Amino acid sequence: MQQSHLRGILLLAMACILGFALMGFEMLGSRYLYPYFGGGINTWASLIATVLVALMAGYLIGGALVDRTMSPRLCGALLVVAGLYLFTIPLWVDPLFTWMLTSIGDGMTGITLAATALLLLPLTLMSVFTPFAVRLLLVSVAFGGRIVSYVYGVSTIGNVLGTLVTTFVLVPSFGSRALTMIFAGVTIGCGIVMMLSDRFLRGADR
Amino acid sequence: MRKCCSASSVEYRCARFRRAGLASLLVGLGLLVQPIVAVAADLLEMRESLYNNIFIFADADSVSMTFGQNKRYYTESNMKLSDPGALTVDYTRYMTLGIAYAPKLERIAEIGLGGGRTVSYLGAALPDTGILAIELDKDVVDLAKKYFKFQETARLRAVVSDGRAFLLKDSEKWDVILIDAYRGPFVPFHLLTQEFYRLVKSRLNPGGVVVQNIEPSTMLFDSASATLKSVFPSVDLYDGGGNVVAIGYDGPSLPQAELLARAAKVQERYKLRYDLTKLAADRRVLNRASGKILTDDFAPVETMRAIEQKNEKWKEQTEVPR
Repeated sequence: MQQSHLRGILLLAMACILGFALMGFEMLGSRYLYPYFGGGINTWASLIATVLVALMAGYLIGGALVDRTMSPRLCGALLVVAGLYLFTIPLWVDPLFTWMLTSIGDGMTGITLAATALLLLPLTLMSVFTPFAVRLLLVSVAFGGRIVSYVYGVSTIGNVLGTLVTTFVLVPSFGSRALTMIFAGVTIGCGIVMMLSDRFLRGADR
Repeated sequence: MRKCCSASSVEYRCARFRRAGLASLLVGLGLLVQPIVAVAADLLEMRESLYNNIFIFADADSVSMTFGQNKRYYTESNMKLSDPGALTVDYTRYMTLGIAYAPKLERIAEIGLGGGRTVSYLGAALPDTGILAIELDKDVVDLAKKYFKFQETARLRAVVSDGRAFLLKDSEKWDVILIDAYRGPFVPFHLLTQEFYRLVKSRLNPGGVVVQNIEPSTMLFDSASATLKSVFPSVDLYDGGGNVVAIGYDGPSLPQAELLARAAKVQERYKLRYDLTKLAADRRVLNRASGKILTDDFAPVETMRAIEQKNEKWKEQTEVPR
């Protein structure tokens, strides 16, 4: 199999896995927010808005970075940082949310700040991956449309699976803290793979 | 005041169709007479709030608040128009039994207002007690005032907030905390976990009790009662006709004679309409809790609720008090 095919498979597999983890974190986010801010439509609005802001910021930052550096190692390092942040959530979430609830309250500001503290930074760093994957796979402008559609399509499949499998299978079987750590570990794993295969992903052969 | 059991629920479309069909048929035959109109409940108001689809139904002598979900109506509250002070839903009478356990009755909180009949009953019966109802849904409070004669006074107030968030924010203590927070068929998971009950316990005065309405027909009941028992050393259960009322308190289980004596004393003092000593006689003590304990980390309430069990099975975990 050609190196470029292997590269495509590796990057699309990671797009799917990271897409899974990203939505998994959104669903888990609700389990962290409910005890402090209630389980209404307001909590979901803040959570969804936070995730969308993270996606937007990640795409912008990723696009700017990849044009400058083309460095899979940098993208991998950002994923490792995201994973480490997420891994520590169970340690600080309860004292932080208690403080936020008592000092800011459970209105829109309080819930949105809580969701932001929980997910904005790591999910932004995770979504930096998408423009990197597009650029690394883009060997010719002639395939540009298809490359973009594959990356988005595959990562969206990951999103869908992450939403459904996390909610209906994983949360009822494991605790949300354990799941957070597992997903964080997977994110760190993707980052390490990217850092180690820097030369391969750059396409040193072409 | 909430009751959730699918037996009492009616399928939307079916109910509407039947009413419309029957009415038009009778109009056609010139037979639409008073008694038949009285049989069918009229929809007085439907309101889509931030949290619920609320339907207010009325027939000749009663008005009820229901939450619509999954094409079913779940009755949250019911009031008899000719006798508003009556507690028409059986389990709500047992909810009042918390006042027999507590050594003093200065402050009572209820999470989940519904139509507000239970707090209104307690407010009328206990002239020196401050009562606070904590209700998530502002529209529920509005409708309770509009249709269920719920009136705020200096001693009986309602606050709009998530119950757990309120207890976290407000460190005041209570003698009795009543929990009756259903959204349609579900109790939100964060009102069923060990962390939540620990918070409740920290907001109780010495000797204070928590009283919760739990629906016994699914696996979730076992877990909910076991979780309550993991925080409160003593848990008593009362069969409230479809719903079970759990009363949790610190310290060893009260001897039945002691509970009856306390109930008699409170009954004697306040002359309650639903005699506390009679209600207390139905006590069962939870001593073989078998469910898995729920935590903020692990509380798959939706999954557990899907596993049905026999309504009476919970009694196997209890014994008659001595």
